[in-house]
Amino acid sequence: MTDIFKGSKAPNATPEEREFELRAHLGSIWTGGRLFIGMYTFMLASIAFAYFYLRSSNNAQLWRPNHITAPTYYGFFIYGFMVLTAILAIYGQWRLRKGEVADWQVAGWTGVASGLIALFLQIWEFTRVPFYPGSSGYASTFIGYAVMNIGTIVVGTYWLETTLARGLRMRKELGDGAEISSSPAAQSFRANVASMTYNWGFIALGATLFLVLFYLM
Amino acid sequence: MTISAERPTEVATSVAPPARVSTPWTQRPGWMSQHLGTAIVGGFLGYILGHWFGNYISSSYPYIVNSGQNSIAVTLALTGMVVGWLLGIGALNYPLAKLIGKDAPAESEVKGWSKYFRYSTDHKVVGMQYVVGVLLFMFTGGLLAMAIRTELLNPTTHVFGPGTYIEIVSEHGTIMMMMATSIIVGPLGNYLVPLMIGSRRMAFPRIEAFSFWIFIAGYMVIFSALPYGGFSTGWTGYAPLQTQNGPGMISYLLGFAVIGMGMMAAGFNIAVSIINYRAPGMTWSRVPIFVWSILATASLLTLATPVLFAGGLFGILDKTVQTAFYVDEHGGSSYLWQNLFWFFGHPEVYIMALPGFGIVAEILPVFTRKPLFAYKVAASGMIGVALLSFFVWQHHLFQSGINPDMRPLFMLTTELISIPTGFIFLVGMGTLYRAKIRFEIPMLFAMALFFNFLIGGVTGVFLSDVPVNVTVHGGFFVLSHFHYTIMGGLLFAFMAGLYFWLPKMTGRMMNKKLGLIHFWMMFVFFNLTFFPMFIIGLLGQPRRVFTYASNLQGLNDFSSISAFLLGLSFLVFAFNLVWSMWISPEKAPANPWDSLGLEWQTASPVPAHNFDRIPVIMTDPYHYSEPGAPALADFGGASSGAATSDSHSAKNEGADND
Repeated sequence: MTDIFKGSKAPNATPEEREFELRAHLGSIWTGGRLFIGMYTFMLASIAFAYFYLRSSNNAQLWRPNHITAPTYYGFFIYGFMVLTAILAIYGQWRLRKGEVADWQVAGWTGVASGLIALFLQIWEFTRVPFYPGSSGYASTFIGYAVMNIGTIVVGTYWLETTLARGLRMRKELGDGAEISSSPAAQSFRANVASMTYNWGFIALGATLFLVLFYLM
Repeated sequence: MTISAERPTEVATSVAPPARVSTPWTQRPGWMSQHLGTAIVGGFLGYILGHWFGNYISSSYPYIVNSGQNSIAVTLALTGMVVGWLLGIGALNYPLAKLIGKDAPAESEVKGWSKYFRYSTDHKVVGMQYVVGVLLFMFTGGLLAMAIRTELLNPTTHVFGPGTYIEIVSEHGTIMMMMATSIIVGPLGNYLVPLMIGSRRMAFPRIEAFSFWIFIAGYMVIFSALPYGGFSTGWTGYAPLQTQNGPGMISYLLGFAVIGMGMMAAGFNIAVSIINYRAPGMTWSRVPIFVWSILATASLLTLATPVLFAGGLFGILDKTVQTAFYVDEHGGSSYLWQNLFWFFGHPEVYIMALPGFGIVAEILPVFTRKPLFAYKVAASGMIGVALLSFFVWQHHLFQSGINPDMRPLFMLTTELISIPTGFIFLVGMGTLYRAKIRFEIPMLFAMALFFNFLIGGVTGVFLSDVPVNVTVHGGFFVLSHFHYTIMGGLLFAFMAGLYFWLPKMTGRMMNKKLGLIHFWMMFVFFNLTFFPMFIIGLLGQPRRVFTYASNLQGLNDFSSISAFLLGLSFLVFAFNLVWSMWISPEKAPANPWDSLGLEWQTASPVPAHNFDRIPVIMTDPYHYSEPGAPALADFGGASSGAATSDSHSAKNEGADND
């Protein structure tokens, strides 16, 4: 979410001012992460509203003719890889807190790979849907959700990847163990990891809801 | 331990020597780097590339061949334009560099006016960029308004055809409404919030800069509707007309989505900054009321705009990949758009109103020399309005798409929202009560807001009642009502804010005589333009129609001529701006209005990092005329412009104005 924190850019900042700005910076990452969830929630709520609105309207009896369903296997695989990414992010953060930086990196890069697979499958699923996008209310909302999900996976995986890349950069600049040191940069990094992980947890929660709506109901 | 207590420990040696970093070419000063010019080139190339790619992938699709309109090519062209624009200005440099582990590029300090044409992370530069941006929006939207009133001069002799007329109306409404969402938050919010909360920076400066540059890209996308043949839906974009419209509709939908991204970014950054970057001692009960209003607005921007974004996305999908979100015959629903649109659209009304209330509440104590009456009521009123605004959107659907049994509920919630709005009004009246008012130009605009918004607000209460709503829906009565709230409220507040804070932002005073001419022309002709429209509406003239009954010509002509003179008042303002800033600049005193606000206590012009020392806040900034009131803040002995050059600085001037 942010750069490597290098302290106040103001000339002649006192140590206390630097400390104050560091706390504000850490708080911003925390608040920003939560506010991002708020934005994402309203985005998801829009598609959920569309789903239930069109379902209850059932205009021209075309909400879901013949109970058409998007490819279930694809749905489960996409969901599985998204949840796997979330679990790996959470696991990585837990190991990072224990000081196991290598575990965090392995879990993180595996999570990036998992996210990219989910992204590929979500795009590929478009070629396998057994309905025309405008053939029904269900078909339309599914396409809308799939497009939104592509955006979600891209943003989530980008955040995870750039956090990992930032860790590597920090290690290069500050030396081994930089991620778990008490330096301001490390504190900022860990706050970013926590925020990113929290968001991935929420993404997994949202994916669960829409798995039920589009594939199981 | 507070920063203040720690100050004796300051030592110059605690500052690390600046690291020697090479500045990439994209960030170097001068014209061989990234700036507005490269953004234009990038946008142009992106447009061409997107159009070519769209044609390449889709020109053989049967529905495109049959319709003769390649909506995919148009969508990708406009998307390419936005991406190219952002690449050209440098907004994507860091997000892309991050992917390969690169650090943020060192920011060179660009001197002179060319910094305003660049991707700057200085909130003061972004604030000034927004000033120019929203004035540009307002100017183009205003020209379209003049065209509308020209057409309505005569019911039978026409300047435009009916199709062109509705395109002009639609473009005017869309430009104005989208501009209005940012008119205060953008320029004044970005510039002033860090100064008012005692911060040296915004929480996410790159997101802040992104919000501005994508806002301009959105403006271009919306304007691209005209060469594409426009859109005939009005600013509300209702389906099924939306579905039937040509490529101009894509400009509308994509423009909303693009500006929506800017609004989310702006709201997100400002909300996080206010929550986290308040100076030590600035408890929630000491936060300036303008900042409260911006916080409430930023919350709405952040949470309501995603719904608009999603609604726009669904519309674009309908246009491009042929989904049927808003097509009733294929299982969609045209009412779905109305719900999504107004779920954003009604909070948007408060996105526009709240910052206006914040400005006048900030200005009133300065010119009455009285503490702000019932500060906590004002703050709670703003939060109350923000919360309730999420529960009223269905009143826009009283005439369509709502179960009639649900109408009373939304009538009630709409009427309820007048209560916290009334709080804010009462706070204003309480502050004015028995005050010795200084009628400076910002104060005149602030008081005009109360007059205008009273008319807009009371007619709003009428409109919230189903029987009245059903009777006057879709007519000039509604049109007049919302112009009274938005233009009469927001725009007058914006002008109040500009006259009040431009001396701080530019170091120059606006010419008072020209300002008075501007105010009186704007106030008188605003009312003469829009008040007759209540009568025109009650007599049955519908909105968005280029002709009308001949017996209404007198009122329409009166309104049109007043509108032209109202337009002239903005030219007076523009002339004043040019005159006062460039032709005959008058240096502004450090604190020309004797304000106690924190933003006036720092040096003028505001230094790069706002405050030499982060201030420690002692009290709220409204202790006017209170003998013995505590000083506003401890600046740690730093020499901060106003604090040294003006007697009304951090120290409260007590009763000196009584």
